[in-house]
Amino acid sequence: MLTIDHLSLRYGRAPALTDLTATAGGGRIVALVGRNGSGKSTLLRVAAGLLAPSAGTVRWNALDVRALPAVQRARCVAYVSQRPLLSIALSVFDAVALGQYSIGRQGKSLAVVEAAIAQLGLEELAHRSFHELSAGEQQRALVARALVQHQVNGLLALDEPFSNLDPGEANRVAKVLRLRACAGALVLVATHDLTLADQIADEVWWLEKGAIIAAGAPAEVLTVDRLRSVFNCDFVRGAHGISLCTRAVQ
Amino acid sequence: MNPRQLTGLTALTLFLFAGIALRLVVAAQFNDQSARFEWPPLDILLLRVGAVESALLAGGCLGLSGLLLQALLRNPLASPFILGLSAGAGLGAILAMYGAVAFNAGVLGFAVHALGLADGMVAGTFGSLAVLAIVYALGRRGGRIDPLTLVLAGTVVSSICGALTLLVQSMMPPSSRGESWTWFMGQIPEIPSRGPAITALVLLVVMTIAAWSRGNALDVASTSDDEAESLGVSLKRLRIWLFLGAGALASASVALCGPLAFVGFVAPHLSRLFLGSSHRALVPASVIAGSALLVWADAIRQSIDLGTGRLPIGVLTALIGGPVFLCVLRSRRLVPGAWSC
Repeated sequence: MLTIDHLSLRYGRAPALTDLTATAGGGRIVALVGRNGSGKSTLLRVAAGLLAPSAGTVRWNALDVRALPAVQRARCVAYVSQRPLLSIALSVFDAVALGQYSIGRQGKSLAVVEAAIAQLGLEELAHRSFHELSAGEQQRALVARALVQHQVNGLLALDEPFSNLDPGEANRVAKVLRLRACAGALVLVATHDLTLADQIADEVWWLEKGAIIAAGAPAEVLTVDRLRSVFNCDFVRGAHGISLCTRAVQ
Repeated sequence: MNPRQLTGLTALTLFLFAGIALRLVVAAQFNDQSARFEWPPLDILLLRVGAVESALLAGGCLGLSGLLLQALLRNPLASPFILGLSAGAGLGAILAMYGAVAFNAGVLGFAVHALGLADGMVAGTFGSLAVLAIVYALGRRGGRIDPLTLVLAGTVVSSICGALTLLVQSMMPPSSRGESWTWFMGQIPEIPSRGPAITALVLLVVMTIAAWSRGNALDVASTSDDEAESLGVSLKRLRIWLFLGAGALASASVALCGPLAFVGFVAPHLSRLFLGSSHRALVPASVIAGSALLVWADAIRQSIDLGTGRLPIGVLTALIGGPVFLCVLRSRRLVPGAWSC
């Protein structure tokens, strides 16, 4: 269970998160949506214990994530960055295996790494250099690394995991996240892909100026009226969920 | 270790032993400017063993220091002297030489000599350690070591030390300036001072074991700050350890052989060429590669007579290391974005 209690954070004088309170249980996918700069990525980083809040706490299963030692935190909270960096030349396999750093020597398993690579469809790329991959392939490798890293019923925080993926691969990653949620994990996804958020999330948190202004089932939060007023363009809700009305753009 | 790493480590070790063998048998033949290969008499052999000992220790320290700094700064172009340690050592040494000339009498002169401050090596070590402390203080942002700020602080402190060195040099009598030039070109002492040699040995052994045991953490630290922290590495502690360890190793090398450019830069790259990028394998490999490079350089320079003596070791390492630096700069081994930390 993730418990966010009166959380505030400032970058210098600028408030990034303001008195934010929310809870979410394991076994669910929660999508964080909102405009650019609304605080989605910041909330994700605070939830993953990477940023210290100015006030309030974030707890995972009653433990303050920021107070946990790095290794212990890594076992229950995994984070996938929007902008990956790897300054040394590693193969995709070795880059994914970095996810097992926090696991003791006995717990490390090549089979687990291979399974995660297979889940993300990277088998043929496993021995290529990580730097030779496209942005989308790198993103899938990072998701594989997060799967290898943490307990299946932990917290998985992903920042824009679909931004560089083609529809087929986005669908693959979405299925992998659903499987992880079914195994008991809480999956937090910050995304601008409202169609995908609408389809895969159990719950949507709408952020505006560092606060959650709406939370609930996708159909309740991602309403056509709200999207139109916020993004100033037309959306339609059909049988397959919400989508941008391209005719209005033309 | 995988087969490639074992093969690479074996190749580097053989390279080192070949260098040691060469250094023990090669002798400069100054009358016809050629090298002579022969097993020397015992007294000469002991001097050459002393030179090998100096080169092994200083090269190993520089190799490991370079690897740790490249990991700390996430930059394959980093070397021990990017933090201004060389310039600090140079300033310390030149101040000692100036002090020896200016305060050669009275109580002050006695104190300067009694504390060993007139010794260029001792003062050079103090200089590099002082710069280490200053750069450490300046390179922190928000209570953490920031790689980019650290490099900028090192560059600026290095420039200031360079300017002060020139100032002190211009104040020295012309007859004393030759000694300072010799120091700046580095040296491989055939009779290494016991204190610096033992310090370098202890430091090298301790840091090699410590770095090897943190090899996986160094791999993880090559990702972005957020990723590394999320994977379980406490970057704050790791960076302090890397900075102090790398600085102390470089200072130990300065104390032994003076400033030697590029060994700390080339050794990790030579190791990567043979063993790949895993730090667990790179740690022992960089120590061996650094030692081998310096032993080979010392052996090669025995056969290069400039008419006024052998080619200075610092000049040779710079002549070899400079082109390697440019090759790495131009190669695809540089990872885009590595500096954006």
